[in-house]
Amino acid sequence: MSSKKIQFDVIVVGAGLAGSTAAAVAARNGLNTAVIERGQQPGGKNFFGGAVYTHALQEIYPDLWDRNPPLERPVTETGFWFMSKDGMVKATVQGGKLNNDPIDAYVALRARFDSWWADQAKSEGAFIIPKTLVEEFIYQDGKVVGVKTDRPQGDVYAPVVIICEGVNNLLTQKLGLIDHDIRPAATALGVKQLISLPAETINARLGLPSNEHGLAISVMGDVSMGMAGLGFLYTAEKAISLGVGVTLEALRKSGVKPYELLQRYLNHPAVAPLIEGGQLMEYGAHLIPEGGWKEMPRLYTDGVMVAGDAATMVNALHWEGTNMAIIAGQQAGLTAVEAHRQGDFSSKTLSAYQAGLKERFVMKDLYQYRNLSRFLDSHPEFMDIYPTFLNDALGMFFSGFGKPKKRLYKDILRTLTSRRPLLKVVGDLVSFGRTIIGI
Amino acid sequence: MSKQTKIPQEELPEVYIDDILMSIKYFTDEQEFHLAIKDTDTCVRCVDKPCINFCPVGAYRLQEGGTVQIAVQSCIECGTCRVLCPPNNVSWKYPRGGFGVAYKFG
Repeated sequence: MSSKKIQFDVIVVGAGLAGSTAAAVAARNGLNTAVIERGQQPGGKNFFGGAVYTHALQEIYPDLWDRNPPLERPVTETGFWFMSKDGMVKATVQGGKLNNDPIDAYVALRARFDSWWADQAKSEGAFIIPKTLVEEFIYQDGKVVGVKTDRPQGDVYAPVVIICEGVNNLLTQKLGLIDHDIRPAATALGVKQLISLPAETINARLGLPSNEHGLAISVMGDVSMGMAGLGFLYTAEKAISLGVGVTLEALRKSGVKPYELLQRYLNHPAVAPLIEGGQLMEYGAHLIPEGGWKEMPRLYTDGVMVAGDAATMVNALHWEGTNMAIIAGQQAGLTAVEAHRQGDFSSKTLSAYQAGLKERFVMKDLYQYRNLSRFLDSHPEFMDIYPTFLNDALGMFFSGFGKPKKRLYKDILRTLTSRRPLLKVVGDLVSFGRTIIGI
Repeated sequence: MSKQTKIPQEELPEVYIDDILMSIKYFTDEQEFHLAIKDTDTCVRCVDKPCINFCPVGAYRLQEGGTVQIAVQSCIECGTCRVLCPPNNVSWKYPRGGFGVAYKFG
């Protein structure tokens, strides 16, 4: 049996968005690059809402549109829906500043999209090795020089390994880049149903002029039953994607079954008519590392960099994550190229990865929102009292009661103050503002 | 810290998870289970048994005598049980390469 050592210039663990981007950039710059993916094919383990962002896609492939990306609908209308038990206030924007060419966000389905994204890395010269699980690192003089996989004679060597293993960052933990497992208060479980409907039905029910229009909605309020979390709705071309994400901490304490929480959202009087007659195409669930900055592992060490969900690169308020993964993957790939140029794979050289990310929105936004996950966890009012108040207030404002308006305003105010004292409301809003602005 | 309290079951619709799971594609590993209960008695002693509820595919099922069994073939590898099992009684690893959930759409 041959015992020839399998050697690459770079090993990427995981062919998600971060991994395939890192591999594409490394291979494009002449490095012999392997991507090791545990799924049958790239994307098979990935699951999200959700949207991808053209700024990130085009930064990697300026000729993006010639490559026929498998995108669903552009996001031409987006915003918040505020949900009460039996009502909904919709605050969405369409047109105006969203009218960019190309549109900023596109709805995608990850199994298809990630598979295509990996194909693009392949076209740059990267080797994709699917159906292979990375179990352990190979060390030499205390430094990582490769990985052990679950294949027979499955040791693969490279002087630099880029870990894009996803939210369950077991390899990252094994390396000691973080000293604890992902925390229940800083991690959300997202569950989603993809419901198939004819495109014309989707257009008619959601007020979309054509298949070239789509919706991305964050739902706040009763959807999470007071738990720290949000619901969402995205339109694929011939399907609607509806889901809920709540923190693991809240989920455990609530005793709720995630799929019943989701069904409750689907049964809501403002949601049920949208999906009536639709067929369930796929149900699934995935963890979301919402902790961001405060839960981030060290991003590099000798011979290793970490990117994407494994490095908690998620902006929980804006639902951004795919773009951060792509830009982080790019930065890691470029840093690997520079390390090869210098022939030095020490953490000193690889620190350029983190320095590069600090110049970009990735680290800037994660830092700015560093307190958000904790804020939402400690302010359930934003998931229940305020969205319900919005529903009550607008409902009362637009109802003709035959009462003097002065009395009406008093009644409206009382629906709020009976639930939360006015001073606390002011305090909540101020601290929410400070959390967002990042001070 | 979250002030979350228990939510009464009456506020939620009843769902037959097995019907929903039919929409998920798997490559089932017939030879090796990637999940296991470390110690069955620990589950018996665990009062809340939150795994029965928090697992998004309902893979944790209460048995007679208070033990818990895992329907490993329905696992979608999300990691919730790994993080939340209060006595840390789940031996959790990824399925072997190529096995497990294979999302068609994602």
